[in-house]
Amino acid sequence: MKSIHTKLRHLNLLCIFKFIVLITLAVIAIYPLIYTFLAAFKTLEEFQTLPPYYLPQSLYWNNFIEVVTKSNLPLYFGNSLIITLAVDLGVVILATMASFAIEKLDFRYNQHILIYFLLGLMIPIQCCLLPLYLMFSGIHLTNTYSGVIIPQIAFGLPLSIFLCTKFYKFLPNEIIEASVIDGCTARQLFFKIVVPMSQNIILTLTLLRTVFCWNDFIFPYTFTNSKRLQTVTLGIQDFIGAYGYTDWGKTFATVSLTIIPTLLLYFFLGKYMVAGMSEGSIKG
Amino acid sequence: MNSLFRKKSTIFTFLGPALLLYSLVVFVPIIWSVYHSFYRWSGLGTKEYIGVKNFIQLFTADRNFWPVFSQTFIYTGLQITFQVGGGLALAILLVNIQKGRSILQAIFYIPVIISSVAICQIFGKLLSVSPVGIVNELLGFINSDFRQIQWLTTPKLSLLMCAMVEGYKTMGIYMVIFYSALISVPHELVEAAIIDGTTSFQCLIHIKIPYIQHIILANTVLVLNNSFRSFDIPFLLTSGGPGTTSELLASFMYKKSFSSMQYGYGSSIATVIVLICFSLAVLYMKVFTSEENSW
Repeated sequence: MKSIHTKLRHLNLLCIFKFIVLITLAVIAIYPLIYTFLAAFKTLEEFQTLPPYYLPQSLYWNNFIEVVTKSNLPLYFGNSLIITLAVDLGVVILATMASFAIEKLDFRYNQHILIYFLLGLMIPIQCCLLPLYLMFSGIHLTNTYSGVIIPQIAFGLPLSIFLCTKFYKFLPNEIIEASVIDGCTARQLFFKIVVPMSQNIILTLTLLRTVFCWNDFIFPYTFTNSKRLQTVTLGIQDFIGAYGYTDWGKTFATVSLTIIPTLLLYFFLGKYMVAGMSEGSIKG
Repeated sequence: MNSLFRKKSTIFTFLGPALLLYSLVVFVPIIWSVYHSFYRWSGLGTKEYIGVKNFIQLFTADRNFWPVFSQTFIYTGLQITFQVGGGLALAILLVNIQKGRSILQAIFYIPVIISSVAICQIFGKLLSVSPVGIVNELLGFINSDFRQIQWLTTPKLSLLMCAMVEGYKTMGIYMVIFYSALISVPHELVEAAIIDGTTSFQCLIHIKIPYIQHIILANTVLVLNNSFRSFDIPFLLTSGGPGTTSELLASFMYKKSFSSMQYGYGSSIATVIVLICFSLAVLYMKVFTSEENSW
């Protein structure tokens, strides 16, 4: 009797220990984010005089107000939004169509084409930047929206096609065959039958691409050099002045504003996002 | 099936646009890079064919290449520790608690969706020395000397810090993967083992881990591949510094190509990275197909 009792207590202690470890780790994981949101309310003086773990002395909204009204941030938000939407649209259309062809159409090289696309998951993006830059400046695509959008669509295809072909594998062939017998053309079949059935995968693809594209910095950084075309990720660095002087309050206000959209998407639609990311488990 | 599905024009309409765009933007540049790695070219003027001289210079004369190469290896090793090791440890801890699994999982996943630029800004501040950042401030309670640790500007520390920040950002993905793998271990196996009197730790080591070892292996190769082309965090957090002590192959190549205008030379570094990544891709496919066979 006694041994069971001690065993239970032992188990309980172990459980509490695991729980404490996890809570500690969770606090470490979330702290940088909390710090960011708190620091956005701090005045310059607080950054200089008070220890960093102090809470902001008051809700000092000025950082946000100045960032929104006096900096380029609204412009960057617009740019990011345009680029993200265009990339989403391009990736979803091209990826669903190509995946449909690979999975459901009948030709000899289906699997080879799939492998060719999947190789793209393993290719270092940076190795393509220089040739792309030269190519784009040759056809005057640098410093345009298209110059940032087109490569992101292309680099988004491998992961999207990977996820989408997996989804189409489970799309019943009977439905497709039945609609062909009813006299559908391939285009009708795709847009009227297949696309309405692919809502889930389209949502996943869109969410993933939105997060990757919103967070991306290498394409706008390399292919644009005018402020007019910059995106929110590059805007974060606007308040870092010369000689290492940084306006931390405004920087953190900007960081907070730029991560709020992805955080909102994550909180409301996280299930679809996590499913896609962990199945791909590959960098954007 | 139906002739409709074999018509060349149908196949071409559906597959053509994606295939064309992908080939032009992703594959042509790779071939371009390999081709130009045999030339001396500064972008302007004529290209001069110099055979493998770029590679010879890279491997024998460039003082920075081998340090950068070995740093990339160290970085990769650290990534495997943080992402695969850390992710697996988190997943195991999560599986072992009864309450709060989903909320904790959600918290650990948040860094994944934050941009590297934002993460680097935040960590730059948390790890700063003047004014003293929170990390040094807290360490200062233990020993006041710790307040002066220059995390990002001390040669050996900066690489470790980059690796930790990258680990922090991506660990969540692997935690989710290993978590769903661990809960997919059949109940009968675990129950049978418990009836036979194994402790939960023994059960983990001898049943659960072996059961998911292919998933662990496949993801290790993925992390290997991802780490060999890591770029963002060192580029943004320390810009490879101090000196080149936290430089990785990808950022080294980027700087050679874009800042020093050595297009041919930069391409030869790109070719080295592509070769490493492709051999890892082949390895991954081997692991992946053997995984499918074993199920």
